[in-house]
Amino acid sequence: MSRYRDLFVSESRDHLTAIEHALVRLEADPGQPEQVDALFRSIHTIKGMAGAMGYAPVAELSHAIESRLEAIRAGAAPMDRATLDLLFEGADALEQLVAAATQGGSALDTSALLGRLGRAAEAAVVPEAPRRTLRAGARDVSWTFEPGTPLPAARTTLVTRRLATLGTVVDVAPSDEVMAAEAFDGRVVAQLVTVEDAETIAAAVRACGFVAHVEVGAIHAPEAPPTEAAWQEGQLTAPLQSYVRIEARRLDQLMNLAGELVTLRGRLQVAASRVSNASLDAVVDDVHHLVGELQDAVLGTRLVPVWQVFDRFPRVVRDAARTVGKEATLVIEGREIELDRALLEQVADPLVHLLRNAVDHGLEDPAARVAAGKPRVGRVTLQARRERTAVVITVVDDGRGVDRAGLLERARTMGWVSADEEELDDRDLLRIIARPGVSTAERVTEVSGRGVGVDAVVSRIRALGGTVEFSTVEGRGTVFELRLPLSLAIVPAIIASCGDESYALPLTHITETVQRTAGVVRRVRGRPVFVRRDRVLPLWSLRELVGAQGRDPEGSQVVIVEAAERAGAVLVDRLSGQQDLVVKSFDAVRGMSTAISGAAVLADGSTALIVDAGGLLQGQ
Amino acid sequence: MRTMLGDILSQAGFEIVGEAETGAQAVQRYEELKPDLVTMDIVMPDMGGIDAVRAITQRDPAARVLMCSAMGQQALVVEAIQAGARDFVVKPFQPSRVLEAVQRVLG
Repeated sequence: MSRYRDLFVSESRDHLTAIEHALVRLEADPGQPEQVDALFRSIHTIKGMAGAMGYAPVAELSHAIESRLEAIRAGAAPMDRATLDLLFEGADALEQLVAAATQGGSALDTSALLGRLGRAAEAAVVPEAPRRTLRAGARDVSWTFEPGTPLPAARTTLVTRRLATLGTVVDVAPSDEVMAAEAFDGRVVAQLVTVEDAETIAAAVRACGFVAHVEVGAIHAPEAPPTEAAWQEGQLTAPLQSYVRIEARRLDQLMNLAGELVTLRGRLQVAASRVSNASLDAVVDDVHHLVGELQDAVLGTRLVPVWQVFDRFPRVVRDAARTVGKEATLVIEGREIELDRALLEQVADPLVHLLRNAVDHGLEDPAARVAAGKPRVGRVTLQARRERTAVVITVVDDGRGVDRAGLLERARTMGWVSADEEELDDRDLLRIIARPGVSTAERVTEVSGRGVGVDAVVSRIRALGGTVEFSTVEGRGTVFELRLPLSLAIVPAIIASCGDESYALPLTHITETVQRTAGVVRRVRGRPVFVRRDRVLPLWSLRELVGAQGRDPEGSQVVIVEAAERAGAVLVDRLSGQQDLVVKSFDAVRGMSTAISGAAVLADGSTALIVDAGGLLQGQ
Repeated sequence: MRTMLGDILSQAGFEIVGEAETGAQAVQRYEELKPDLVTMDIVMPDMGGIDAVRAITQRDPAARVLMCSAMGQQALVVEAIQAGARDFVVKPFQPSRVLEAVQRVLG
């Protein structure tokens, strides 16, 4: 049962997302019948699934929403602002009910909502149109009963039982109630999955009696899950492609195994290099190649387009704007860019924070915008793009920007910057607004501004191995740029040693490695720096970072790291090559330096701590 | 009722091998007589017609049972068919309708 419950939850979520998507589109332009159709389909599916699972409150509410939509389709009820608000409310309640049904928890009282949904639906007399979901591989078998056929629903049961001896009957329409009604026109359609030919099927139907006419249709093409374009168009005529719904846990397991294999490959290479045998080397080469392909393929199964999460955001921006009395549109770019599913789920919350921030703190009131010569409706842009081995997501608003003078004043008073600091650059600003408890809002609103926004975003993105950059122009707007690795699971890194221990430095942040003698180590204002080609970089000693004893030996190497437009240098004893690390978790190691972000198993089977240059530089 | 159906069938050349007053009796008599066709009322004393159909077709999946019902009993007839009845006739009986149904069931 719990398997079905999980399936119910995951499918319901997909449909709830589609519902919000359609509602937001309808809000922009209510005259789109195809969006109403899309809404109807999703609501209808949820109703059916909830009914099958016995989640009565979910089925009841979706039924009420469906009835209202039916009235709208029939032209008996309007699609106006009040209706849209009601439908938004209904979608929210449905989401809560789905969660409550599957996780337990207090059930929402929907009686008032049901009442309001029902009023318009009841007022409109809507003829029931048979709604059907086409089942792949099935064919329509339609027949008409002779006029005056007694008990047609019972006769239909006879027909379907007869058809069931030929294959599987997946659907019959209309319902028994409709057939029992006086106005029933005698036309029935069943969907049958069978290997029998049309003549055999037709003969089986005729043999049941009272059948005036029978017709056997063609086999339905398989239906693929809705593509993004189909969602947009509200059409579900998707290309022929087959999909399998897989539990994410299984993919994680596959990813872990592929990761272990990558580690093992490294060990195999090390072992083979000691033996020096040509045929062994050839096999090792092949294994190397294949494991690489396997890793890419497994990684590919976990990649999902960002629209799967981004498509919820128009709703977020809409709600935020309405709550604070502003007007805003969200422009989404690069929705097809792919990202590891786990990673995408993890960035959803930070993005919601940033979008709400953009509306609440970034955008001005409509009046202020007009006064400043800007369009009345504020614009928030959410963009995803691919850059080498990273995915960059930016949140841009065309609002008022951050008040540098005001924030400088505050930072001086609080002692976050020295009292003689004259100007704050973007990096300083981010550091200040990312301090827990600091908000750029003059007032706390329902939407954001409780001072838990930006610091939470920055720490979450860093925990994912990414970086956050920020820039703002007063009067023009603000940009947040999140840079994320493609996957959480495998990270290419340079292995450095310090004494007998090995440490891993992820390549994401490394720009180059040089001999210590390629530059000069000095002390500036009491702290060590590495000077090379006129660049002065703060210098850390790996020994000091990890608390190892002894002096750095003469032959030390320097690793130049960069993150968030900051650069630094790390002094290590030796470098011993590059490896793909299988990172088990990014949980912080307690009691260690903040520069250590996790641990990984190396090719020789030993464990290495991961030195996080991003953390090192941001903690500077 | 039974007489009327019996008359229609007899006149058409069928032999009535037995009759039952109740559902339970119908099941028992079916075992003894193994008839080619059973006509059964939906509503009967003690075990109802639907339960009797179920009992008979469980013992003999090849059993041919024709239900007899009134116009208002659509839901019950649906249930009887799901229980294994092969067809049904609706009262008041028209001989031609009854014989067509019998032919469908035996054919």
